[in-house]
Amino acid sequence: MSTGMIFDIIEFAVHDGPGIRKTVFFKGCPLRCNWCHNPESQSFEKEVMVIKGRRSDCGMKYEATALAEELLKGKEILEKSRGGITISGGEPLAQPAFLLELIEALKPVHIALDTSGYAPNRIFKSVTEGVDLVLFDIKHTDPVVHKRVTGVDNRLILENLEYLCSTDKEFYVRIPLIPGINDTMKNMEKIAELIKGARGLTKVDILPYHKTAGAKYPMIGKKYKPLFDIDRSPKVYLEPFKKYNIRSEVM
Amino acid sequence: MTKRIEAMLDDILNKRHHKYRQHIDSAVFTQFTRELFLKGLSDTERSVKRLAFVLELEKPVVFPEEKIAFMRTVPKIPEIFTDKEWSDIKAKHFIHEQGKVCNISPNYGRTIKLGLDARREEVIQYLETAEDGEVRQFYRSVLDTIDIVLSFVDRYAQEARRVGNTEVAEILNRVPRYGAVTFNEALQSFRVLHYILWASFNYHNTIGRFDQYMFPYLKADLDSGHLNYDQAFELLEEFFLTFNRDSDLYPGIQQGDNGQSMVLGGVDSEGKDASNILTEMCLKASLEMNLIDPKINLRVNKDTGQEMFELGTRLTKQGLGFPQYSNDDIVIPGLVEKGYSLEDARNYVVAACWEFIIPGVGMDIPNIGALAYADIVDKTLRYALEESKSFDGFMDRVKDEIFSWADIETNKFGNIYMEPSPMMSLLMDGCISSGKDISHGSRYNNYGLHGTGISTAADSLAAIKRYIFEEKLLTAEELIKAIDANYVGYEDILQKLKYEAPKMGNDDDYVDDIAKELMETFAKALVGKTNERGGCYRAGTGSAMFYVWHAKDLGATPDGRRKGEFLSANYAPSLNAKTKGPVSIIRSFAKPDLIKTINGGPLTLEIHDTVFKGEDSISKVATFVKHFMDMGGHQLQINSVNRDKLLDAQKNPDMYKNLIVRVWGWSGYFVELDKEYQDHIIQRVELSI
Repeated sequence: MSTGMIFDIIEFAVHDGPGIRKTVFFKGCPLRCNWCHNPESQSFEKEVMVIKGRRSDCGMKYEATALAEELLKGKEILEKSRGGITISGGEPLAQPAFLLELIEALKPVHIALDTSGYAPNRIFKSVTEGVDLVLFDIKHTDPVVHKRVTGVDNRLILENLEYLCSTDKEFYVRIPLIPGINDTMKNMEKIAELIKGARGLTKVDILPYHKTAGAKYPMIGKKYKPLFDIDRSPKVYLEPFKKYNIRSEVM
Repeated sequence: MTKRIEAMLDDILNKRHHKYRQHIDSAVFTQFTRELFLKGLSDTERSVKRLAFVLELEKPVVFPEEKIAFMRTVPKIPEIFTDKEWSDIKAKHFIHEQGKVCNISPNYGRTIKLGLDARREEVIQYLETAEDGEVRQFYRSVLDTIDIVLSFVDRYAQEARRVGNTEVAEILNRVPRYGAVTFNEALQSFRVLHYILWASFNYHNTIGRFDQYMFPYLKADLDSGHLNYDQAFELLEEFFLTFNRDSDLYPGIQQGDNGQSMVLGGVDSEGKDASNILTEMCLKASLEMNLIDPKINLRVNKDTGQEMFELGTRLTKQGLGFPQYSNDDIVIPGLVEKGYSLEDARNYVVAACWEFIIPGVGMDIPNIGALAYADIVDKTLRYALEESKSFDGFMDRVKDEIFSWADIETNKFGNIYMEPSPMMSLLMDGCISSGKDISHGSRYNNYGLHGTGISTAADSLAAIKRYIFEEKLLTAEELIKAIDANYVGYEDILQKLKYEAPKMGNDDDYVDDIAKELMETFAKALVGKTNERGGCYRAGTGSAMFYVWHAKDLGATPDGRRKGEFLSANYAPSLNAKTKGPVSIIRSFAKPDLIKTINGGPLTLEIHDTVFKGEDSISKVATFVKHFMDMGGHQLQINSVNRDKLLDAQKNPDMYKNLIVRVWGWSGYFVELDKEYQDHIIQRVELSI
């Protein structure tokens, strides 16, 4: 029996896959995206959060079966709406044993995995085989920029994306659109190139940067240091996706 | 929306029609009241004279482009009693609100169909055989009222001709004198009757099951080709506009609290789904008009299709705070249990806010009082907590206190008096045949009591159970001291009570079961109690304005709420509680047996407007609504909100003139509300999901 660390559960998530969903957020992430709006998702350890002067613990340790039980409470509405459970983070793939156990315990409810794709291919493969839908985040196709703004190289991510495109597994691509970082025509064109023709691809969700992203940093004693102008709205280019008949939606 | 409607809407939004309002010195009204007094007239005679006086003062205004006329220019309706007379009446009688017939649902359909001439014949026949002096006076008052109305309609018809609007002139020559034949006539006839009710100082005049009694006229016009769909829709939109012309003149606690509730959908007298094309048209018209009136209520049941929930959700998305949904499968059996006939129960509507009443035959007063659950807990803990050996023992004392409260409360409403209303009597069933003014009652004369602060009370009791009886973290004495100190110097305790204790709205039986027990007790405490009119008492889940009133009198509470902090409006989690989310909320709030507490009062939820982004959000929220009903929910109202927008609107009211919010049982313009109501809404929204 493995245990894992999560930091939140959101009910009635309507933007994380089909139907009404419950989304669980794993705590801990190998990436350090400069714009991350959930800085408490980065560390794998419990942290203290101070909200309006009140200290509270951030991070809950769970056994996989107990977490599944919590997530499945009230599952009727998830089923009725053809929704399910979305596993997000942090990076769920960074707690693989716990994740695999959780997935087994959640079945047969529809499961979506929201991932950065940053994990060894062996793990990516075994996990994606067990879920119904993958929400695959793509930040940047350029390895140098990627390293600079997320702290890691994008080689593993692109390999896993390539693998995903070769399967029949249903997936959405999700692009957090950050002004001055990745909101270029060129980046969109390259992403479109990578995913065109993928059998399992349903759509591309564009998630424009929101100004309030920095709000949580002081709560965990961190400083928000954006490398970009937070007041500028990101540019939206959908043409590259239209070109390949890929459905795209700005969220 | 057609250009014509667009222009009319623009006039209303910019209040251009207000320029026709007359400036009448208030001395004119007091003088009129004084004359009534000096003439020594009966209350019935005075009511008739008042209507005549108001309508004589009125100056008909007809716009050349309109198809449905009638607009108020007299800003005020005078009293029929002087201040001195009123205080004498109040010394002898229980007076509900303003002492007028209000908050009921007239049977417009019958008079629209028959016309006032036929109704006059009916009254004359009864008058001919009546012997009792009072009864004869009542019939004469109704006949006089009909004459006053018809001569006023004639003046309107003349004005219509004068401005060249022959269409309206011709319609007014026919209705409401004769039964309506076309959809346009039926709408105009309604408009006249509704207008006259307000001019008679009746208020919270609800609209009722509009899609039922208006459907035959629409259908006839569509079938005969007299109107096509677009023309009918345009007329309907114009009709919706009329509810916003005079509404700022109507009495209410706050602007917007005017009771113009329209009920759509629901089952027919046989229990079959009765929604029709007009149901759908009304939802669409409300969506296009984006106005606070009429306030849309949608009756749903297990057979209501997903499309109807989706149409409703489109309205919710728009931020109007309606539709308010009610569940036939719970409300109808609940009303039957309270003694309503099955056929009447199936015809239920809502009063001004959400109380369930029966059109035509209900003279219920569904908002006559309110149980403040949190007060009961506070009172009981002061004398019984220390000596209670177990939580169950303490809970029994709380229940006893509710029973004692019910004994006292239900004795408060003796010798009730209301001003008579010949006009309303004409529109209610049975008044003419019985020769009795509606102010003396009807088939149903039940009184309803709201229940406020259920979540605050349940959370308080859960905290007591856990920290006093189970964990023994503090004693009864310490808790009382902390409450009395408003938690000053007891911050550690406050933290525990406020943030760590179980809260209603998290699908946690620990606290939800307590709420369930409290509500059951409230209902039980009223069983067998009758009022002086032979009616029963109904327990409810609404708050009306009591959530503001009760909160002011109440000190700090054991759930970690400090003195002065608001209670939640209606049936909702405490404003103090961070819940897991809307799914847990509906699961918690569907647990009590809501059939027993069927006076009305919706579960009220705030959902952040970002939820509505994305193409499929409508069907998701619609499913959510349906799910609450499937679990046994009785009534639900969802607000789509954005806190930043509300804060900005407080700072820059001029930029948000048309920002609409839901208050308790009605929607209003945010910037026109008093600040305490604005603040309450902002606090509610902070917990939005």
